[in-house]
Amino acid sequence: MRAAIEAHDAGADVALISKIHPVRSHSGAAEGGINAALGNASEDDPEKHAFDTVKGSDYLGDQDAIEVLCNEAPDDVYQLEHWGAVFSRTEDGRIAQRPFGAAGEPRTAYAADITGHVLVHVLYEQLMKRELQVYEEWFAWQLVIDDDRCQGVIAWDLLNGGLKTIGAKTVILTTGGAGRLYTGTTNAYACTGDGMAMALRVGVALKDMEMMQFHPTTLAPTGVLITEGCRGEGAYLLNAEGERFLKRYAPNAMELASRDVISRAEQTEIDEGRGIDGNVLLDLRHLGAEKINERLHGTRELSMVFAGVDPIHEPIPVRPGAHYHMGGVDTDLDGKTTLEGLYAAGECACVSVHGANRLGGNALMETITYGKRSGRHAAEWALTHTTVAVPPAVEADAERTLKKLLDRTKGERPWKIRDELAETMHENFGVFRREQDMRKQGELVDALRERYKRVVVDDKGDVFNNDLTQALELEFLLELADCMIVSGLARKESRGAHARPYDYPERDDEHYMKHTIVTWVDGQPQLDWAPVRVTKWEPMERTY
Amino acid sequence: MNVALKIWRFDPDSGERELKQYEVDAPEWACLLDVLDLIKDQVDGTLAYRKSCRMMICGSCGMRMDGAAVLACKERMKPIVDRGHVPVISAMGNLPIVKDLVVDMEPFWGKIRAMKPWLDPGYDEVTERERIVSQQQMNVIHKEALCIMCGCCVSECNSIESDPEFLGPAALAKGFRFVGDPRDEDEVDRLEDYNSEHGIWDCTRCYFCNERCPKGVDPRDAIAKLGAESIKHGIDRDMGAKHAKWFVRSAMTTGWLRETELVPKTQGVVSAIKQTRFALELLKHGKVPPPFPPHVAKDVSEARALHELVQEQGRDGALGIVQGERALARIEHTDAGGAKRDVAEITPGEEPAPAGH
Repeated sequence: MRAAIEAHDAGADVALISKIHPVRSHSGAAEGGINAALGNASEDDPEKHAFDTVKGSDYLGDQDAIEVLCNEAPDDVYQLEHWGAVFSRTEDGRIAQRPFGAAGEPRTAYAADITGHVLVHVLYEQLMKRELQVYEEWFAWQLVIDDDRCQGVIAWDLLNGGLKTIGAKTVILTTGGAGRLYTGTTNAYACTGDGMAMALRVGVALKDMEMMQFHPTTLAPTGVLITEGCRGEGAYLLNAEGERFLKRYAPNAMELASRDVISRAEQTEIDEGRGIDGNVLLDLRHLGAEKINERLHGTRELSMVFAGVDPIHEPIPVRPGAHYHMGGVDTDLDGKTTLEGLYAAGECACVSVHGANRLGGNALMETITYGKRSGRHAAEWALTHTTVAVPPAVEADAERTLKKLLDRTKGERPWKIRDELAETMHENFGVFRREQDMRKQGELVDALRERYKRVVVDDKGDVFNNDLTQALELEFLLELADCMIVSGLARKESRGAHARPYDYPERDDEHYMKHTIVTWVDGQPQLDWAPVRVTKWEPMERTY
Repeated sequence: MNVALKIWRFDPDSGERELKQYEVDAPEWACLLDVLDLIKDQVDGTLAYRKSCRMMICGSCGMRMDGAAVLACKERMKPIVDRGHVPVISAMGNLPIVKDLVVDMEPFWGKIRAMKPWLDPGYDEVTERERIVSQQQMNVIHKEALCIMCGCCVSECNSIESDPEFLGPAALAKGFRFVGDPRDEDEVDRLEDYNSEHGIWDCTRCYFCNERCPKGVDPRDAIAKLGAESIKHGIDRDMGAKHAKWFVRSAMTTGWLRETELVPKTQGVVSAIKQTRFALELLKHGKVPPPFPPHVAKDVSEARALHELVQEQGRDGALGIVQGERALARIEHTDAGGAKRDVAEITPGEEPAPAGH
């Protein structure tokens, strides 16, 4: 939505395509906040923000991209405020900022614990103000490529049925993450990596796909997110013995260490028998009822509904869950991919701001700043180029592929493949990774992809056939899993979210301070490498 | 656990409706949405419903359970199964059904758009940092900002049922989100708009929207706040506003409700004369107190003092409205294991804790 607003304001004719209504987007589930060095709660500046982000990325983030983000963040947040975002306020009436993990200053601007919700709605308000065309509940399935340019999108119209083609001089992918690759995930059902897979299929490179962040505080069994804002407000993490175990892993930052560090600490506690039914405890009780109700009332509601626990009186059982894909479609600082006319921004992109580990509060900021930049650049390109051509053959091919799937009546339905994929990814490509598990997972995914070739869709109708779209989503996920495994096996070190304590426990800057790059060749991932762009921060040991 | 559901299916091709029963084995923690997923996976892939976040924030999965609007991801099934109950699941009300549990949300969004739902700050270019606004000022619209646009309130709205053009609870709550925002420069024009036909005064005050809102937005309260703000700004042309104003006037002058004058004051003299026969019937049965001499309560000065206090505290507008208060954050658990209402207003935000603790 941020990209669409910017492109529209730059003079382009813009439409949005979304498989769910824009306000249903999973950015709305982001709770804790958005990072910008506003300096409202302490002395802060963009350079400090950039350093924290570089260090947090375990030196895999591209430093020029990080500097752009941190420099533009304050004005981008002010813009949101002027559009009407309902931020929480300091005593002197400025935007309130709270401490967040691995941030040297309290830098996370917030709206209680519904920051994402507030921002999604304010952006949708701005869409309505501009009367932008939204193709609601159109499932984008394929990119139209002609003359080595991206020239549009082919989508399945959920409400009415049928494939629809939209020609466009530029296309910006903003489809979010692929958390549905895992059983325990904070991600919505909609997070199936559609944009990444669509780009992959037309030869565009994906970057750092092994880097899946595990958030330290998710509710069992489904992975519903409990915000980092809890720890920002001072909550403790306890093991079964009631010990604040982080003193053994991150003695200085404790609960405000970075997410990868805390998730590994939790998993170690659980693996070594100091968990409670596969969880550790997030204790908010000492914050008191007033603070919990004021700043974390959404968290309280989620705990009460999904875990039957009132955090005012009891600690919340939490564990690491798949949360955020640092990797994604490889782009430059304007969101442009290697394919003319194709852009990407937000979680589906990898510019790369987050490297091997994202800091809490930087994802919302990235969607805004890089959404804006890609929207602006895509509009400029569109306004200076004239033709759009969608060859009829492309549409006919898409129709044929879809018909083949819909006509199949004998075979397996997709859900078992989906569940097996998510369960095994969790087992074999989770917080800790072993060579043999990753290899095994590669074979499993190949077998699942074979099974997928004979998959059957139950619903043959036109109207609201999400049985069909869910099958197409599963195909996206299977291909992305392959990309992740190939990248994970190649990275023979431990960096950020990619932790290999059993064979390569250390970071190896000499050989692996570089991005994995995957392209799709004959239906299989092909691995390559790209250098990390360093501006001013040389890698240092990373402790919290 | 074994879960049974009856689901009202709707086939868009044939136009036929059918109540079908399904049974699946579900984990004990399953919510209604999980059970629907199991049915779709294992029994019938053609079952249609919307879903996304499964954590009560995206607003996709509004539907009815036993005739009442719910978010499917919020309803735990275990207590229902333990009771041996087989709930009936159907699409939301007041919106056209597309297929099974999926409704056409376009009428809903059309009404949202009619509210001019964007901040009008009175300028175009941002030339400064953030505006300075206190948390207290922002708290005025805290509940309305929680709205996830799921449509549960619209599904249950009695006024929309009789007048499909009534703006309805979700749109009006969105309206108050801007009227109550100290940064908005369009308050009076908005109130004028919302006071037109099918606007705020068409609400019947059944409170179903407050009751069924899964997020504690309390849309009826927002409508009341719009009413109070309208009168405060002298926008009182609607009978609803006149009706409300006469209550205040009555209380100030006599301490009682001056019922006999209520109809002419609300509907106007001409309209009241048309109802003379009805009024005479009422008079005959002793239902109308004689207007003269006016019956003045002994302690009418207290009513007047109260009115002055309200004015002094600036509570003659939206701030004077304290009604449903269904927000979950306001429900306090007591030591006795129950819950009590009416604790202090929640104040999200304020100053953050110092760094590095």
